[in-house]
Amino acid sequence: MTNGQAVVQLSNVRKEYGESVALDGVSLEIHAGEAVAVMGPSGSGKSTLLSMVAGLDRPTSGSVVVHGEDLGKLDEKGLALYRRRRIGMIFQFFNLLDDLSALDNVALAAQLTGTSASPARKRALELFEELGIADRRNIYPAQLSGGERQRVAVARALMNRPAVLLADEPTGALDTRAGEQVMDLLLDLNQIGQTLLLVTHDQQLATRCASRLVEVVDGQIAGERTLERTA
Amino acid sequence: MSAVWSVSRAAVRRRRLQTIVIGVVVALSTTMIVVALGLLAASSAPFDQAYARQSGAHLVASYDRNKVSDEQLTNAAKAAAAVAGPFGTKTLDFGNGLSVVAVGRADAGGPVDRLNVWKGRWPDKPGEIVLNRNPVSAGGRGDIAVGSKLSEPGGPTLIVVGLAYSVSESAGAWVTPAQMAAFKPTSTQMLYRFAQAATGEQITSGQAAVTAGLPSGSLLGAQSYLTLRAAAVGEPNTFVPFLMVFGWLGLIVAVLIVANVVSGAVVAGFRHIGVLKALGFTPTQVLSVYLAMTSIPAIVGCALGTVAGNVLAESLLTRAFENYGAGGVGVPAWVDVAAMLGVPLLVALSAFLPALRARGLSAAQAISAGSAPRAGRGLQAQRWLSGTRLPRSVSLGLGLPFARPARTALTLAAVVLGVTSVTLAVGLGKSLTTYQTAASRAGAVDVTFSAGTAEAGPGPVPEGADAPPAAKLSDPADEALMRSTAGAQYVTPSADLPMRLGGTSQDLRVAFYRGDPTHVGFRVLEGKWFDGPGQVVVSERFLRQRGLSVGDTITLQTGGKSTPVRIVGKALYNSGDEVLSNWETLALIAPNTRAQTYEVQLKPGTDIDAYVKAVQAGDSGLVETPGQDAGTFVAIVLATVVLLTLMLGTVAALGVFNTVVLNTRERRRDLGMLKSIGMTPAQVMVMVVTSMAALGAIGGLLGIPLGIIAHRLVIPAMANGAQVEIPAFMLDVYPLPLLAIFVLAGILIAALGAFIPARSAARTTIAEVLHNE
Ligand SMILES: Nc1ncnc2c1ncn2[C@@H]1O[C@H](COP(=O)(O)OP(=O)(O)OP(=O)(O)O)[C@@H](O)[C@H]1O
Ligand SMILES: [Mg+2]
Repeated sequence: MTNGQAVVQLSNVRKEYGESVALDGVSLEIHAGEAVAVMGPSGSGKSTLLSMVAGLDRPTSGSVVVHGEDLGKLDEKGLALYRRRRIGMIFQFFNLLDDLSALDNVALAAQLTGTSASPARKRALELFEELGIADRRNIYPAQLSGGERQRVAVARALMNRPAVLLADEPTGALDTRAGEQVMDLLLDLNQIGQTLLLVTHDQQLATRCASRLVEVVDGQIAGERTLERTA
Repeated sequence: MSAVWSVSRAAVRRRRLQTIVIGVVVALSTTMIVVALGLLAASSAPFDQAYARQSGAHLVASYDRNKVSDEQLTNAAKAAAAVAGPFGTKTLDFGNGLSVVAVGRADAGGPVDRLNVWKGRWPDKPGEIVLNRNPVSAGGRGDIAVGSKLSEPGGPTLIVVGLAYSVSESAGAWVTPAQMAAFKPTSTQMLYRFAQAATGEQITSGQAAVTAGLPSGSLLGAQSYLTLRAAAVGEPNTFVPFLMVFGWLGLIVAVLIVANVVSGAVVAGFRHIGVLKALGFTPTQVLSVYLAMTSIPAIVGCALGTVAGNVLAESLLTRAFENYGAGGVGVPAWVDVAAMLGVPLLVALSAFLPALRARGLSAAQAISAGSAPRAGRGLQAQRWLSGTRLPRSVSLGLGLPFARPARTALTLAAVVLGVTSVTLAVGLGKSLTTYQTAASRAGAVDVTFSAGTAEAGPGPVPEGADAPPAAKLSDPADEALMRSTAGAQYVTPSADLPMRLGGTSQDLRVAFYRGDPTHVGFRVLEGKWFDGPGQVVVSERFLRQRGLSVGDTITLQTGGKSTPVRIVGKALYNSGDEVLSNWETLALIAPNTRAQTYEVQLKPGTDIDAYVKAVQAGDSGLVETPGQDAGTFVAIVLATVVLLTLMLGTVAALGVFNTVVLNTRERRRDLGMLKSIGMTPAQVMVMVVTSMAALGAIGGLLGIPLGIIAHRLVIPAMANGAQVEIPAFMLDVYPLPLLAIFVLAGILIAALGAFIPARSAARTTIAEVLHNE
């Protein structure tokens, strides 16, 4: 599945935090429908790489182009609009808003693009049903289990039909069974064409979901290989 | 906006504690600001305001009915800006030394000299009378109550149906015009307001205008309101500066706490902000969320606080203004407008600055800031503390404030200012009471008798000082009577003369004391008491206003006669128009004057009423006059100071409370971890309370010296502005045990603020914490 146009294109991206260099000349292309897993030791720059693609932070040098948009040319507001429309993000610790119910957390993503509250909730409920958490919709995040929270987070990320779904250790805080459920979910999504960029320590997650594996060591890409999916 | 609104609304609803703290702090602060500003605005010119509110007369004039008709007076009065009258006037003598200048007047309102009928009602038929009484000083021993009956020998009986107050002091009592006609009035009263009435010259020319063309000799007497003003403004002006200091202190503390609470909410929300950004909220939308989140409770709090502030300020002001006999006094509208606009603006601003910082932060950093509250800072302090021998929970607690230096600094500043204002308040209170006691001569004079026509005081008295005294006995006989009556310790007779300072048009009141002047309670601050003829003692204000000093010679004039006198001393009292002198000097000016006033100090334990009765049994013409004012205004100032101090203390404790809530919430995971490795709930409590008690102690240690310094600077500076001298002994008001109590108070405020959140932190179960992280 390496054909199709490049959805994500990183060219020679460098990111410094003060003295330390988190990314050092990374170039990477991701094509539509691909599922790319990024692996590497702790502190090697995986999360930083994801932040660059998500437009959560700006590279010190180099360029990031996603869906034809050069993130370097966007101002803060432009980046916000970009995040809103083009990407969906899943974090290790879910990062749901504690003040909103599960359903409202998900609906919020649609409200941001101008959808009014009730159609936003309707679409959110459809996603909840697809993900099998419809009965948890009125519960606040603090009362949900980890697996349920992550599924809510996935629903939120999918709300605006993103060009790329970014996931940073999506199973890192979950037990095996809950982790597997999330994995299955991601795989299903990719199989219906969702482009996926996934950071993980988990060999099993990578081999099961990803079509390509990228190794990052000390802020540089140390190797790349295409995978035969086991699933 | 709908996404922004959903998030803000949810935050306000779900973060109840934060919402309530912001609301309460803003409400209390607004109350404080409204009270402070209201008092400042009103107390800047209380007499003028009371006078304006009651349309007090600029000139009260009395005319001879035989020489001028009502019609002539009405025509001549067209030159005035506003006029009331003509009213028939007659002095009614009810016996027992009670005689009043009564005026026939149809109602209490009108364009000039509106009366404050503060008790009972206005007379509406003959046979009824209303007395002129100041609401504050009335009600003393032997005062006439509503419902009493009065009658002139052989005259009709009058029922006292009410008490009213005239700021213009235009009469001693009022009856209906019909009743006055029946009395056959001897003179006619006219009350004028002039377009220009700021100076004595303007009043004089106003008087010339309204008397132009009247038959000569028809004007019997006239009284300018400037005389009343001079007597009235002295005392309150002394205290305005004190209120000012408190107003400003309250304002600063309010600003600090509001800034701390609001910015704390924003800082605690970093992770929240990060998530919003990751979802695609624009920086402006994030700002809007935080502004809305804090503004909703702030606006509600501000509205409640403005209402509470108005109610409070109004009751305080009304009490303070009763001195001038004015009715209900409100907070000026600009104060409400300023509070309603200024406070939300302030809140928005204090949310705006940290929110801007959050805006600058990249979303990636904001998200990680939430899960890992910035470590690193305070690590050194923590490392050093862990080396000490303190129990670990105490040393951990002591290290907590270093983790959030900015928040700690704001909290500390609030505690310091809280302690400073408590210190200053207590000091001011003690200095004021000492000053008031000394200046009012309370304690030195127990009873004051007047031999004159006591009730003739208000209103122009045509007969003037030549009126025959009401006392039945001679001056020496009266003095002997008082001395010989059981219980008397000292009796000091005196005579008052209105005089003029040579070479000026300034009216003075000179009190000539007979015998030893040291028993009437004046404290000499400089020089000495008079000990021979031609000597006077004056106040600091008298000297300042005229650029004189002790040792100078001035000239006193009366009835075309000039007498040079030397200022031999300066005594502690407020008035700048009163001069003290002795009987030998009076002999040079007006020999054969009898004493009108006898100030009596009684032996401790003497029954005052019994003494007064015994003396009046000897001479029924002697009237007891109200003694020295116990200082209502001081009482109000003190009440205000106490109130503001309490509110400052509460707000400061809430500030600490809020800081602890934020700290423990941020540290939830640390606390869970500490408990998971075996820290007991009690140890968690100790740790959290210690962190704040340390702030309290530092606050106390810094705040007390600041308070003392402020007291040392403020009192003399303000005394200077008020043209009074505060002797050094009145500044030594801080005994050591009191200071120790202040430090404890600081610690207590902080510990109390910390207690509730500390307890709830101690009670959270580990599972709950770990589940949520
Ligand atoms: N906000 C930041 N400020 C300073 N340094 C940072 C920041 N974020 C990351 N770094 C540094 O950049 C380097 C790469 O961090 P990054 O989080 O990308 O690693 P990672 O590969 O995701 O590690 P892990 O597998 O442990 O999550 C690390 O050395 C880290 O300390
Ligand atoms: Mg990472």
